[in-house]
Amino acid sequence: MFRRKVIILSILIGIFTWFEASSWAVPMEFLIPKKNTPEGWVLIEGPQTFTKKTLFEHINGQAELFFKYGFQKSVFAIYQNKKESRDQIELDIYDMGNVVQAFGIFSRFRNGDRSAGIGLDSCLDNHSVFFYKGKYFIMVYATESNPDVLRKFSKSVELKISDPSSLPKELNYFPKNELKSGSIQYFPEGLLGHQFLKRGFQGIYIEKVEVKAKDKVEVKDKVEEKNKAKTEIKEFKLFLAIFKDSQEATSALKTYKEDILKKGKVLSGGLIELRIKALKGEDPYQGKFIVLQKGFYLLGAVGFEKEEYAENLLAEFVKNVK
Amino acid sequence: MLSKRMGRRKFIKTISSTLLGITTPNILKVRSSLGKSEKVTNLEYRTLGKTGLKVTVVSMGVMNCSDPAVLLRAFDLGINFYDTADCYMHGRNEEMVGKAFEGKREKVFIQTKVHNHDEKKMRASVERSLQRLRTDYIDVLVWHGHSSPEEVSDLKLFEFMSMMKKEGKVRFTGFSAHRNMAPLLKEAAKSNLHDVALVSYNFTHSKDLKEAVALATQSGIGIVAMKTQAGGYKKEKMGGLSPHQAALKYILMDQNVSATVPGVTTIEQIEECAAVMGASFSKGDLSELKAYHSFLQGRICTMCGGCIGECHYGVFRSDLLRGVMYGDGYENNSLAKESLQMITRQDIQRCSECPSCSVICRRGLDIKEQIRMAKEIIVRSSESIVRS
Repeated sequence: MFRRKVIILSILIGIFTWFEASSWAVPMEFLIPKKNTPEGWVLIEGPQTFTKKTLFEHINGQAELFFKYGFQKSVFAIYQNKKESRDQIELDIYDMGNVVQAFGIFSRFRNGDRSAGIGLDSCLDNHSVFFYKGKYFIMVYATESNPDVLRKFSKSVELKISDPSSLPKELNYFPKNELKSGSIQYFPEGLLGHQFLKRGFQGIYIEKVEVKAKDKVEVKDKVEEKNKAKTEIKEFKLFLAIFKDSQEATSALKTYKEDILKKGKVLSGGLIELRIKALKGEDPYQGKFIVLQKGFYLLGAVGFEKEEYAENLLAEFVKNVK
Repeated sequence: MLSKRMGRRKFIKTISSTLLGITTPNILKVRSSLGKSEKVTNLEYRTLGKTGLKVTVVSMGVMNCSDPAVLLRAFDLGINFYDTADCYMHGRNEEMVGKAFEGKREKVFIQTKVHNHDEKKMRASVERSLQRLRTDYIDVLVWHGHSSPEEVSDLKLFEFMSMMKKEGKVRFTGFSAHRNMAPLLKEAAKSNLHDVALVSYNFTHSKDLKEAVALATQSGIGIVAMKTQAGGYKKEKMGGLSPHQAALKYILMDQNVSATVPGVTTIEQIEECAAVMGASFSKGDLSELKAYHSFLQGRICTMCGGCIGECHYGVFRSDLLRGVMYGDGYENNSLAKESLQMITRQDIQRCSECPSCSVICRRGLDIKEQIRMAKEIIVRSSESIVRS
């Protein structure tokens, strides 16, 4: 009798655990708000499902970009303002397979830091909001300027998604100091435009550079030119390329060197602070660069002006990478 | 799995040359391809229809581009025509083009797109494109994704385009199409409303499309070909085969094509594509393309629609070919099952045993083999449902 109870209990625990683990894997159509829409708004079209074979019909050539980021399936719906039929909201929910890919496609669409506090990260303007949560990337468009309604729709979708995935861990590796807010992007291939760097993340950093400018100054009824130091804000990138194993990373670093030898300038050097050997030089399209290997990663800085400044940030970056 | 495929590839290879229609010996000139990292020494230009623009035959589709460095490399290689769109990455793609070509605007031609809305919204879209592209004119503005001949000859849309031209915001206009290209081009040739057509066109397409391209060209429409690589399978999946240059050269043999806009992501890819300029279609290219075509045989349905309605019993559908492509070509069983979910086990059984099958693929897909593979997927799928 006791044994039977134990077996039943084990089965129930198993079912409960399985249910907990997969509760977020609901059919995508359920993520579309149907009755619980913001007040005054009604669902007029959809949910319509798109697969890899039909996505072109919905978003034309842009489907290719979604495929690169692991697109699985999407649902689409249109809502209408009960008082004004031209006032509509379009909602797209894309299943991108995992949280890194969902972040990746989000990072290609967002424009700077305009977070609306929705999902794991979001970007809101008067006509649209993009956000991602777990493996889902969500786009909401309004035909008329309506950020409040966009926010309400987004919130109602967000509440339906219970995918527990947290932010991609790589985002925390990037040093926070001088990082341009909302600038980190993920590329599934061709990081920095190079095939050999494959997939990875990049973030934009701010660098203040002093430049000599000629100012016209009036001296005793005469206009004279005087040299004056001015501070200019410039941008450069830190990147993290991810490989299958350290051997593949080593091989990519070798290819990087060969490529620069052909097109740019290679200098020897290292990260003084960490005593790590690094490849330094000048890329014809990215400017000055430093790149080094840590395990199956290549980390680097490109396009900076002051080497010491980039080195310090890179050193912090290296320490953060686990 | 791969070796099994190679076996079938060899078999299909024997018929592929006929399907490709590229066996005429006098067009073959063996010539070594340019080195990957070398600058293009033989830039090749063609006139983009009645626009009169002299565009590089290998141009660039910017949509998938990962970094402005790729655009700068393309510019250094001499490429002068770039295709982007207002909607790509919510305008970020246009911003990248604008930033990369700031100070170089006079040396490049930019093509971007607009969607069909009311005039106010379309105007706002064009203004946003100008702002992001950091310019005061767009060289070519195309309607994004036409799919019916009615759209091609819609005078309301044409009026808006004419207005944009008169206001000096746009120099030339046209439309883009991902499917149903032949009827659209034929309609465009009749209507005389368009300067440019951006169409999906590659070595897998039918003679019908080739004829429509010729007809449109004769009417003065400049043809820009996209999807020139027919899907861009990865080398690893094709036993090291890299047919991209051959695919580009093949489409450029059609003199009615003014420019191609392969969608590139990296510097290496644009170098590989640019090296095609000035190079002839060689024997090596032919065998690569035949192997590629063979690889695609049975895997890819180009959605030409030629087989629709041919089954007397209404059982055979185009979903069947797609299902096989997903299952066998992409090795994506769930997608294959999804594509075939509307076809019952009984239907596919009847279909496979049909003594009077009238379905013919004009591009040479072995329909009987396709039905057999679809049956396998459907049976496997229903058995797994029963088991679970």
